[in-house]
Amino acid sequence: MTDSTTVDATLRALLADVLGLGEERAAALTVDSGLFGELPEFDSMAVATVLTEMEDRLGILIDDDEIDGEIFETYGNLLAFSQRKVAD
Amino acid sequence: MPPPEHRLNITPAGIPRATILIVPPLFDEANRLRRTLALAMRALAADGFAAVLPDLPGQNESLVALDAVDLEQWQDALATVAAGIDGPVVIASVRGGTLLDHRANAAAWWRLAPVGGASLLRTMMRARVTADRQAGIESSLDSLQEAAKTAPLLLAGNLLSAAMVAQLGSADARPVAPLRSIGLGADGIAGTPLWLRAEPGEDAAMASAIAADISAWIQTCGIS
Repeated sequence: MTDSTTVDATLRALLADVLGLGEERAAALTVDSGLFGELPEFDSMAVATVLTEMEDRLGILIDDDEIDGEIFETYGNLLAFSQRKVAD
Repeated sequence: MPPPEHRLNITPAGIPRATILIVPPLFDEANRLRRTLALAMRALAADGFAAVLPDLPGQNESLVALDAVDLEQWQDALATVAAGIDGPVVIASVRGGTLLDHRANAAAWWRLAPVGGASLLRTMMRARVTADRQAGIESSLDSLQEAAKTAPLLLAGNLLSAAMVAQLGSADARPVAPLRSIGLGADGIAGTPLWLRAEPGEDAAMASAIAADISAWIQTCGIS
């Protein structure tokens, strides 16, 4: 689970589950794809659900103060954050 | 005494082989899965079972205020529903519903994707923190936890009593027997976690798989 491709795949599957993106839209996400504020499905409950699922599926713990608006700005930011947490 | 809670009853033609008491996920997750659960109930009825999906006090059509109830009252409410059913009862609970199903008497239990109460509470508190931040209000999981000790806490549209927050925070599914506990995926039910979905969806194939698995488990247990 430390492999960066695995983190990427896990994150895409998770976003597909929470946002109902479907496999195609999830696979089409790039590092520049906007998330919070850009995808209408991505509301505060979806943010919270994504965080909890990231903890469960990536085996990490995310503290309150680690979460700022930037993490959810783009898929690239979320991926970088996840990979950093998994590597810790 | 408040009036009895509304129940969705789907019955087969003739005498039911057994009654499946469905315990839905909690809060928002219940809404997201309701349509698929109702489809599973129809499939169960087609297979000769009665299926009952009761409203928990304080949820759906209930006249009880949500902040007047807690997890233990929900467990008791389910036990009362189960006790009022004629013939064998099999409890099928999903996600947070698995935190409520152990006080009821049943011939067997079936659990899908059990989740701890702390995880559900954490997600709802995070939604509140995120919404607060957008509104320019400083809050944190710690500050909410502290506030919930003395007053009801509004989390993602749900006004939860201090007792509900405290009990949820430490709730895990309890041992029951005989139990089949399964998840999603290759070794479990084929489908996606619709209870996580930001916008409600439905999955007829998943509903059929749920009904078929419950039915097979009932036969394994020799109930009908």
